[in-house]
Amino acid sequence: MTSHEFELENVTVRFPSVTALDSISLTIGTGEQIALVGPSGSGKTTLLRLFNGTIRPSSGCVRVRQVDTRELSSMKLRQLRSQIGFVHQDLSLVPNLNVLQNVLSGRMGRESFSQSLRMMLLPIQSETANVHKLLERVGIEDKLFARTDRLSGGQQQRVAIARALYQQPEAILADEPVSSVDPARAKDTIGLLTKICRDDNLTMCVSLHNLDLARKFFPRLIGLREGAIVFDRQTSELDDDEFHRLYQLTEEEMLSDKVES
Amino acid sequence: MRPLTRIFGLRSRVLLGILIAGGWAAWQLQLDFHELLPSNRWDTARDFFHAALSPAIVYEDPTPPGTQPLLAKVAKGIWQTICFAMTAISMAIVGGVLLGFLSSSAWWEDDPVRDTNWLRQLLRNLINPTIVWLTRTFVVLIRSIHELLWAILFLSAMGLNTLTAILAIAVPYTGYFAKVFSEIIDETPRDAAYAIRELGGSPFNVFFFGLLPRALPDITAYACYRFECALRSSAVMGFFGIPTIGYYLRPAFDEQHFHEVWTYLYALILLIVIVDRWSDLLRRRITQ
Repeated sequence: MTSHEFELENVTVRFPSVTALDSISLTIGTGEQIALVGPSGSGKTTLLRLFNGTIRPSSGCVRVRQVDTRELSSMKLRQLRSQIGFVHQDLSLVPNLNVLQNVLSGRMGRESFSQSLRMMLLPIQSETANVHKLLERVGIEDKLFARTDRLSGGQQQRVAIARALYQQPEAILADEPVSSVDPARAKDTIGLLTKICRDDNLTMCVSLHNLDLARKFFPRLIGLREGAIVFDRQTSELDDDEFHRLYQLTEEEMLSDKVES
Repeated sequence: MRPLTRIFGLRSRVLLGILIAGGWAAWQLQLDFHELLPSNRWDTARDFFHAALSPAIVYEDPTPPGTQPLLAKVAKGIWQTICFAMTAISMAIVGGVLLGFLSSSAWWEDDPVRDTNWLRQLLRNLINPTIVWLTRTFVVLIRSIHELLWAILFLSAMGLNTLTAILAIAVPYTGYFAKVFSEIIDETPRDAAYAIRELGGSPFNVFFFGLLPRALPDITAYACYRFECALRSSAVMGFFGIPTIGYYLRPAFDEQHFHEVWTYLYALILLIVIVDRWSDLLRRRITQ
């Protein structure tokens, strides 16, 4: 039996004003690399948040490594989250701490308060060395002691990735990680992220707006629109029409909206 | 014609309202600006301001042998003023941090996904809001009474001594700190805190490492500013018999030794200016 990292079974997520996901089923195998594509508001972020247990499904079942997330206690849920790295769109770093401290905070799901305090104030040599090694992998090793808000957007992006890697995760989720950097940097960053995940055999699920990047770097694509899966295919099997329809449809909708108003 | 509300925006209306209210209040008080002219005390006023040009270096009157030199007394008064303010501020920061955390909504923010057993429901819906309400009410109570009123209260209740004088400053300052700290914490962006929660951090780790580091520069800056205020309060406590600079200032005033008065005032001004510069420097270093 192949092992599944993430499994959704008829999952619906309703927010007070909107249904974000409507009866979705899908499986993501361990070590797979997947891009979620689709227009804004199609449910990509909600889907990613189901995977790391920060949203509960309104109905249906979410299993992460065969465990139903609804049945987890607070403690077990935190344990699960500590094994899943998440790279946020807005990076979510503490700007006035240095890079070392921000990366170290990746281990806070596993450490007690007193351990965390010690780690933040007096990191031991091995911790600093480990962080330095990670920064080398993401190409900003010279920024170890720099204040995080002094870094460029692309460099901060790499700090966020290093923090996720410092968790020693089994999977990495990323929500529009390159939406705020220029195309060349976006390509570099996605290339780096996919390479690291391949090297370390991490499951990876990234939501992307950039279709070219999605096709170039990810073997499997899931297209979402209005909370439903439009396609879930190997990239090689996907034809251009299918791909463009994903966005074109919403353009028509936008036009029709304008006519109505 | 355009309605008046269109011509005057909300801000100008508020400003106008304040001015009118101020004029009315002055009329109620039968304010007479002629009182500014000291008709019968011109000489005193002139002597006082004239003395500003030549602050005393030694006592104006002959003193018995063995009396502490004036400048030594000034130095002692300033030193005591600093000690009182420092002790009071330290106590107030501890209390303010404690009450400030408890009355901030970020401290109580719960992970929405956490399990929903009856105990957690009870905490979330009844016990936590009650603690917040009690804390906020307590904070309002202690900060609505000025430190001088606290001093009078303590004075009449148990006599003013070193401890009660410090408490008179520390109690209302705890209230100021609690209110401002909780506001600073609640206005701090929470994205990094949420990120730590999402990687499995405990509520303590989320608050202390995701939120607090970001609020700390503002908290420190406010504490510095309040230290300055505490120095002034501490100086005034001298008028109640606590050996800060005000304690020495008062008899000099009473005996109309204006040159000595100015020596004390200049010392106090110098102290405030130094602290102001220093806290400015500190603020710039931590917020840059």
